[in-house]
Amino acid sequence: MNLAVELAGIRLKNPLVAASGTFGYGLEYEGVIELAALGGIVSKGLYLEPRDGAPPPRIAETPSGLLNAIGLQGIGIHAFVKDVLPRLRTHDTAVFVNVCGDTVEEYAEVARVCDAAEGIAGLEINISCPNVKQGGMAFGGDPRMTHAVVAAVRAATRLPVIPKLSPNVADIALFARAAEEAGADALSCINTLLGLAIDVEARRPKLGFGTGGLSGPAIRPVAVRMAWQAARAVRIPVIGIGGIASAQDALEFLIAGCHAVQIGTANFVDPGIYARVLAELGAYLERHGKSEIRELVGTLEYPGEAREC
Amino acid sequence: MPANRTSFLVGREGIGGPYFLLTFLHPETAREARPGQFVMIKAGASAEPPLRRPFSILGASPERETFTLFVKAIGPGSNALCALPLGGIAQCLGPLGHPFSPPPDGTEAALVGGGYGVAPFSFLGDELARRGQAARLFYGGRTRAELPLLGRLRDQGIEVVPATEDGSVGAKGRVTLALEAQLDRATKPQRLYACGPEAMLHAVARIAAARGLEAEVSLDPWMGCGVGTCLGCVVRVQGQGDARWKYRCACTEGPVFDAARVVWPGESESHARLLAGARA
Repeated sequence: MNLAVELAGIRLKNPLVAASGTFGYGLEYEGVIELAALGGIVSKGLYLEPRDGAPPPRIAETPSGLLNAIGLQGIGIHAFVKDVLPRLRTHDTAVFVNVCGDTVEEYAEVARVCDAAEGIAGLEINISCPNVKQGGMAFGGDPRMTHAVVAAVRAATRLPVIPKLSPNVADIALFARAAEEAGADALSCINTLLGLAIDVEARRPKLGFGTGGLSGPAIRPVAVRMAWQAARAVRIPVIGIGGIASAQDALEFLIAGCHAVQIGTANFVDPGIYARVLAELGAYLERHGKSEIRELVGTLEYPGEAREC
Repeated sequence: MPANRTSFLVGREGIGGPYFLLTFLHPETAREARPGQFVMIKAGASAEPPLRRPFSILGASPERETFTLFVKAIGPGSNALCALPLGGIAQCLGPLGHPFSPPPDGTEAALVGGGYGVAPFSFLGDELARRGQAARLFYGGRTRAELPLLGRLRDQGIEVVPATEDGSVGAKGRVTLALEAQLDRATKPQRLYACGPEAMLHAVARIAAARGLEAEVSLDPWMGCGVGTCLGCVVRVQGQGDARWKYRCACTEGPVFDAARVVWPGESESHARLLAGARA
């Protein structure tokens, strides 16, 4: 049974990657779970400098979901490269940096710092965080800006460039194509859905920032649909993200056309999820007489011309 | 090192109204837990509610490989835990967070527990007794029914001073009034420890600042992960040597903090900084 996948020239031992913002910088789970069980880890979003993030409360539980506005609190890329990466890379798993910026130039500068470091497999470009006032969604909500950020990062590094797209747009295919044209090697689809939860007693938002990003099983069908649309729109591989909590969920994204998936909110529910999902994926392959997980990618039999509305 | 494992419920006792004592098999927590630490736990394997919940550890038995929680069933997470049958499973990660630190020799510990916030003080009371250190627990709630552990804590040998807002047991009024009355009478140095509603913790912090006492408070914001990855449970805390407060995770840098270093709601600086400014 071979669970290995390859995307953007990166070989992952399995298709399960920890999503940015849900796995810290990786080392927090050292000793709690076997980090080498993961196909890869995407760091918390990193700017050039440390960031304070948004005022609390920062999280609110919602039906089958989690609404958050962390606001990209982080240690900054220099501290990550100096203090975290040397130890993180001793674990046999691919390390991705989630690159943030207030300006196009800052994204490129963070990418240059990563390029000069040893042990980073690829860069995920965060153009879709709904919880910051500048950057983030401003770049992910306009295809021209998406193109500009991705092109600038592309020019700044030899590492694989993987923009993380926002679901808070009418047509994700436009953004997928803009990123591909700008030189992206793969796409991460999707970030959180913009939401608002209200404390009716206080008549205030439940989150200190106001609105937040919705994640968890609640968003999964939306995420599968958008990852599927993006995968059909481009030739580069897509990494599916959104509410994955089981092998079934991961399989939906793979069958929809994703080459790998990221697990996010489910890390909080059970950091031991990786071993369980991998075992279930193996059992699925066996049951379906397949020896390679790669064989499943894009095997969705979608209703064709005959579909009636 | 915290351990993430499936945990069996091996003891369940209703102690009146919505209150339960729940004992789980979890060897690592049983062995390593210190007073003030917590576990992230969720009943069963159901999808709802999505997140685990943090609970302070009431006590641990390394011999039996168990720990016990004091849970008030007040929401979907705690309801599901309290509804578990004996032998039922929970997903549990622990022990987590920084424990309380014992007082210096010759200093008495004044523990202040509000409502279900009294949970860690059974554990801390035991530890202080073992160390031969004097401790007194101020246990407050609105009514007698909110003090379901009163008898047990006394049976355990802890000196308990109850206080209820309706006067149904102990002194009438807020628990911090009983605390202040005792502090007025105290002949030995006192160190405060508090866990409970945020307003009570804030009041204890003000009392400590006004009297020049040290106080440790256990904070209880919503937590996502318990290990510092989600950054959801941050509180404003001024670290030693920091020019200004920073957001710090209650799960990994707390939940126990020096009360003088917390920036309390409605305040813009920590008491430590305000006092330093006043002295300068």
